[in-house]
Amino acid sequence: MTALTLAACSSGDGDSGAGTQNGPVTVKVWAWYPSFQKVVDLYNATHTDIKIEWTNAGAGQDEYTKLQTALKAGKGAPDVVMLEFQELPTYQLTKHLVDMGEYGANDLKSQYVDWAWKQVSQGDKVYAIPVDAGPMAMLYREDLFKQYGLTVPKTWDEYKQQAEKLKTASGGKAFITDFGGNDGGFMTGLTWQAGSKPYTYDTANPSTIGIAVNDEPAKKVMTYWEGMVASGLADTKAYGTTDFYNGLGSGKYVTYLAAGWGPGYLASVAKTTSGKWRAAPLPQWTAGANDQGDWGGSSFAVTDQAKNPEAATKVAMEVFGASNTAAWKIGIDEAYLFPTATPVLESDAFLKKKYDFFGGQTVNDVFVPAYKAIAPFSWSPFNSYNFNQLTTGINGAIEKKTSWTAALDTAQANVSQYATQQGFKAQ
Amino acid sequence: MTQVQTKPAAAPAAAGPPAPRFPRKREAATGWLFVTPFVVLLIAFLLLPMAYAFKLSLYRSTLIEGEHFALFENYTQAFQDPLVREGVLRVIVFGLVQTPVMIGLALLAALLIDHATSRFSRIFRLAAFVPYAVPVVIGTLMWGFLYSKDTGPLSAVLPLDFLSSSWVLASLGNVVTWQWAGYNMIVLYAALQGLPREVYESARIDGAGPVQIAWRIKTPMISSALVLATLFTILGTLQFFTEPLILQPLNPGSITQHYTPNVYAFNQAFSFQQYNYSAAISFLLGAVVFVGSYLFLFATRKRSAL
Repeated sequence: MTALTLAACSSGDGDSGAGTQNGPVTVKVWAWYPSFQKVVDLYNATHTDIKIEWTNAGAGQDEYTKLQTALKAGKGAPDVVMLEFQELPTYQLTKHLVDMGEYGANDLKSQYVDWAWKQVSQGDKVYAIPVDAGPMAMLYREDLFKQYGLTVPKTWDEYKQQAEKLKTASGGKAFITDFGGNDGGFMTGLTWQAGSKPYTYDTANPSTIGIAVNDEPAKKVMTYWEGMVASGLADTKAYGTTDFYNGLGSGKYVTYLAAGWGPGYLASVAKTTSGKWRAAPLPQWTAGANDQGDWGGSSFAVTDQAKNPEAATKVAMEVFGASNTAAWKIGIDEAYLFPTATPVLESDAFLKKKYDFFGGQTVNDVFVPAYKAIAPFSWSPFNSYNFNQLTTGINGAIEKKTSWTAALDTAQANVSQYATQQGFKAQ
Repeated sequence: MTQVQTKPAAAPAAAGPPAPRFPRKREAATGWLFVTPFVVLLIAFLLLPMAYAFKLSLYRSTLIEGEHFALFENYTQAFQDPLVREGVLRVIVFGLVQTPVMIGLALLAALLIDHATSRFSRIFRLAAFVPYAVPVVIGTLMWGFLYSKDTGPLSAVLPLDFLSSSWVLASLGNVVTWQWAGYNMIVLYAALQGLPREVYESARIDGAGPVQIAWRIKTPMISSALVLATLFTILGTLQFFTEPLILQPLNPGSITQHYTPNVYAFNQAFSFQQYNYSAAISFLLGAVVFVGSYLFLFATRKRSAL
């Protein structure tokens, strides 16, 4: 079956569904990758059967709002859409995503590490093709570390000790980092590393969900950061704000707990500090361990409004596919994407790339092992609500100086209530 | 609508020509023709969406069980929802403080430039109106930068955290006042310009000073414009939306996702996929806006002539 459809696919669209029309099939794509126009131009130049029509419908929630509206309205959605991993169950549950397994997507399975493939699939059903991921690491200012006499911390305990040392050495002017309580992905990445499993959810059994937003690992992480903030060791500016960017550029923050896409992000918001940063593994809870979490990461999914799901699947598989080295050259050099496909990940172009921003360091030496060590993780099918509860709770705790773990308990109660209202059997 | 229809018919009769040029029926048809664009827009952009929202609000759809008819279940939930109550209360407090402050400022400015007729007053008039010409989103973003604790210039003058939970409502009030005071000033100023100048002269002969003229003569005479400006402000306050939504990312701890009823309804629909509940909140809000503006007009009917 798979082979047949694939054959139909690769023989052009001669006698497949869309073959009735003349000329190339147009596939509409929504995505917000930096420099994506070049990737689209490249695809269109090398394909005669399919033409991509690209729209930047906004990043993150902006795109999701538009997508939800279009899906609800029954028209106006693109054929292929960029979705972050944590959003996939939401669209899967409402049956708006095409099972690409029917069009040969399972053939790609071997090109991805286990946890990444599990993010996008359920058994033989494939709901998206992974593109990039966000393994976490600690980016730090080497010059400031020298200036203040700090050493690179390997555990969170050491991290705190360095923070205390920094506070004294800088006279309270510099912080070890900024804790962005407005970023659900960032906080989840940190609790993920500690082993938190906020949701137990399997789309094969869609009406049952296990909810443990306030489990022990999550509480451990939040108690740690509550202490950091209360003792004035970490700042609490919202991520993505002018004050935050300013802090990264001015040396107010000497480390930045970043995801795989972080180096590019940092290079664009703190240009003046180029060459002064270095990357080190994320501090560990247990000395010598290699526990990791993911923050962000995206994929291409095909919506149920796709007129030609076969052609759409082909685009989703190929546009940032493992063998599309030309596209990945753009993705790595210009868009700073962290590739999920193993062949790209292990290519010299990626692994041995020296970054001027990091003083010539090959930072992927840090990110790639982190990526491979990430434990499987499942998201809820109502992630906007989940992130909202997390950010509202933690931000409220920061603002009103109440207990962070109590905020997690409140989030747990609210999420459970929401799930029950939505008809889930919450456990 | 009735005015539009009857006036043209009455006018020729008053002028007293023996017979109207066109038969009455045709005049009525012409009248309808004139109001048609308005009626079409009213139906397409107000009545139909309202009817659709009302229909949506009577259903309930969940992620697992799909959609079912729920009658007033969403409304019951909205009445019991503490987050709705919190937003409503906040908007009321906001309106009670912000409306008098802004209308007072607008009135003061209008009276001042009405009194002074130098070249300076023209520049002042323009300067006060400019913020209204700046789109709300851009104006709010600009204030967001100004409010910034580390990099904003205001923090050098006033060592406050403008977006912290204790100050954020006042900071939002400042943005709204900045944006709309000039607009209201122009409305009031236009009304002042329409007053007969002889009245001031007789007041002056009677011994009234400029302050007395402004407060005892001018202000009461433009009361209908004042009522109108206040009404628009009340309507705007109840629907308070753009400013908190734009500033929210800067401090989500103080500007929550249920900060005002409108923001809450927006998030329910577009973040949490609760379209039905969102429709119920919106419809309730619409009803409150309608009743609120009617009550205000009723209370001020003697002064407003509206």
